[in-house]
Formats: sequence, structure tokens, C-alpha cells
Amino acid sequence: MFRVRLNQFEGPLDLLLFFIRRDELDVFNIPIAQITDEYLSYVSVLEQVDLDAAADFIYMASLLISIKAKMLLPRPDLDDQGQEIDPRQELVDRLLAYMRYKEAALHLGTLQEERSRQYVRAAAERARFEDEAVQYRVSLFDLVRVLKDVLAETPDPVRHEVQRYDYSVEDQRVFLLDTVSAGARSFRQIARLGVAGEAVTKAFVIVTFLALLDLVQQRRLRVRLGIAPEDFEVALVSDGEEGTPLPARSAFEG
Amino acid sequence: METPSTSSLLRTVEAICFASDEPVSAAALAAHHAEVFGGTATATEVEAAVVELNRRYRAAGHSFRIKSWAEGYRMATIQEMAPVLHAFFQRTDTRRLSRSLMETLAIVAYRQPVTKPEIDHVRGVNSDYALRKLLDADFVTIAGRSDAVGRPLVYGTTDAFLERFGIRSIDDLPKPREIEELLDDPAFNTERASLLSAEGLLGEGLQPDASGDAARQANDSQPATP
Repeated sequence: MFRVRLNQFEGPLDLLLFFIRRDELDVFNIPIAQITDEYLSYVSVLEQVDLDAAADFIYMASLLISIKAKMLLPRPDLDDQGQEIDPRQELVDRLLAYMRYKEAALHLGTLQEERSRQYVRAAAERARFEDEAVQYRVSLFDLVRVLKDVLAETPDPVRHEVQRYDYSVEDQRVFLLDTVSAGARSFRQIARLGVAGEAVTKAFVIVTFLALLDLVQQRRLRVRLGIAPEDFEVALVSDGEEGTPLPARSAFEG
Repeated sequence: METPSTSSLLRTVEAICFASDEPVSAAALAAHHAEVFGGTATATEVEAAVVELNRRYRAAGHSFRIKSWAEGYRMATIQEMAPVLHAFFQRTDTRRLSRSLMETLAIVAYRQPVTKPEIDHVRGVNSDYALRKLLDADFVTIAGRSDAVGRPLVYGTTDAFLERFGIRSIDDLPKPREIEELLDDPAFNTERASLLSAEGLLGEGLQPDASGDAARQANDSQPATP
């Protein structure tokens, strides 16, 4: 994806901090009317350049305008606890929290630079092989071995009642694609996460595994062995390498 | 006085830290020593051995030390040797993540376990891209699910993050400064000055008459408060 960085402002909070610094404003007493006008004039330019980024900025603009309106309207001076009510409080809190994380990010940057000046052994070998990710053809046997391990670790309380399992391969296909898109990469991890609000059962692991085979066959997911002996890696097949689905029979030969 | 057993512990720690590809914990070093040489070396003794080895390296002017990263020990060259090694590995000086990645990483590191909406709220922007990059780099991982409504995924930092940033443990992250301290820092004004000098970026090109449109649009497109 092609991304454009607009000046030094990553986001709306950065822009507000810029105004505050430039005009030496008191963070605890922000002149909302003035800063809202300046902010909006910036956003109006931004809209013409980068609509995607503008969405985040427009949200902040609406927050500023709502604060401005609250400042203009008559309101009680004190709340129930006798504290002074300032419509700007939430914005101030957010700005201050953001400043602290920006500062923390600078610290981390320094740590990373210092660390990158200290070399560890094997760095050379690692660097040389990093780019050529070793691709294994996964045999069905390998996959089943991992499945067996995960199943053995999944508790299955003995229950003497007939129970209908609510998992379907279709549901688990969606679940898998969502979870992998969200950044999960290890089958073990995915099996442990489960679906929100439900305990992980063996039935869940098995149906998820079947859905995984299905998606691999459709060439929408890819599995890679070798991250750990008792696990395998699951990744999305990117658009460029999408091919025709493998014939079902030959999916795991080799 | 060096007894034979402390000398074998020193050599064990040195050999494993030299040969290992990743940080080795004090407990593991002690266990491997006991496995081979018998006796009962403790983690505390291992820590003392590391201090002693580093003292010797410094005294003898060596170019490496045993570092304590990601709750383990590993050997690395000292910073002073960086120019030579940069040259040897043909690397351009130092590495640093981009600002948006670093901000996102800082939020995950200090607030973990943290959900994506929480990260987005702190930064005021969508952090999809940054979070994905950090997952790819293995600095961040899915740490489980939150108990909040909908049980969203929560993110945390990895051992690889600690290792690559030279941090001993999560508890050892530098404490963020208090706000008052931040606001009083002269650097705050320095940054302001540098921003002012770059102000050509803002200021002139703006059309004040367009602000009305933006305000109208803003009111239409979003509810006022979250």
C-alpha cells in the first residue's frame, strides 16, 4: 500500500499539540474557540488531499465543536461532588496521556538505537537467511500430529448428557480468517483463543482444524511447519499468489 | 579466592552465553551447570558470576560483555565497537522504528494487555497498520482475550521485543515522566522552536473561508462525543 505522511502530523492529537506548543498555550486552559477555528481550517485542506486520514481528524473536529458549544451554553459551575465542571477536561486528559506515550516512544527509540549498536553472534547468519523463508510442504501427517498434541492439552470434562455442538465448518472458516487477519499466526494459539464467551472444547479444535484444511485447499490460507516442533504457522495467502484451488485429493500430497 | 567450583561456574556461564543464539535465564544456566558438574549452583551465584565476568572483560579491555536482556543473559559487543561492526555487516548506522510504530509499541508496552480500540483512542487514529507491522516484526503478540463486552483480543509485547530493545524485563521499562515534569522540560520549548521554524508547512496555505464547510461536514458525519 502506498502511504503518504502529511507534514509531521500523524493524527489529530498531534495537530492539537502542535497548536498548543506553537502558541505557548496553557494545556489546562485551552482557548477552545481559537484552536477549533485553526483546526478546522487545517482539516479543510486535508480533506482535499487525503480523505482516509481526514476521517480521524473530522472526528476530533466534532469533539472540539461540541466542547465549544458546551462552553457557550449556560451550565452549572459545580458537579455533584462540588468539583468545577470544565467541558474541556476529557480533551485535556487525552492530550496529556498522549504526550506521555509520545515521550515513552522516544525513550524506546533511544533504547532500540543503543541496542542496535551492540552486536550479538550469529547476527550475520541470521541476516543472510532471513529473506529466504524456508517453505515446507506440509504433509497431512504433520498437521495431524500437531492436532493430536493440541487435543491432548484441551480439557474435555466428562459429561453424561447428549449435547449438540454449535460449531460448523462454515463458522470456523470465518473465525479462522478473522483471527489470522487479526494477527494470530500459530495454530496452537488460535486453538487456545477460542470464540469469545465460550470455553474451548475438543469439538471446537477439531472443527477448526477441518475448516483450516478447507481453507488451505481453497488456497486462502497457507500453513508452514518449522516454527516449533509442536506447532505450525498459519498465514493468509496474499492476493498476488492466489491461484486456482487445489484439487481436493492432492492438497496434502508431498 | 577462587575455588574450583566458582571457576567452573564462571566458565559454564561464559561458554553458554557465548554459544547461545538467545538470552539464557540464570535458572537455566544454574541447572545446566549442576547437570554437568554436580553441586547446587543458584541463580544468585550465576548473577554474581556474570558480574565477575563483566568485571574481567572491562579490566582486560575486551570488546564484549554479557548483557541481561529479556530475563536472560547473552553476549554482545559494546557500543563503542559499533562503527567497526556497522562497516563489517554493511549496515547503515542505527535502526529505529517509524514514529507511528514506536508510539503504538509504547502504548502496548505500558498498557498491556491492551485492546486495539484502546490503542486507537490514545493515539486518536486507527492503528491497524502499525499493529500489523508490530505483529509481523514479532514485537507484539496476541495475549488472549479481554473480559470486556464481546471479549476482544488483547495485545502484549514479546520476549523478542525485550531482546531487540535491550530491556531486562517489562518491569524494567523506563518509567514515563510525570506530566508536570514534561511541561517544565526546557526540551518542550526546544521542540516548539523547531516546530515554529518548520511552520511554513502550515500557516500560509490555509483557506480560512473553507472552515465553515468543514464544520458543517463534521457535524453531519460524526456524533459529538464517544
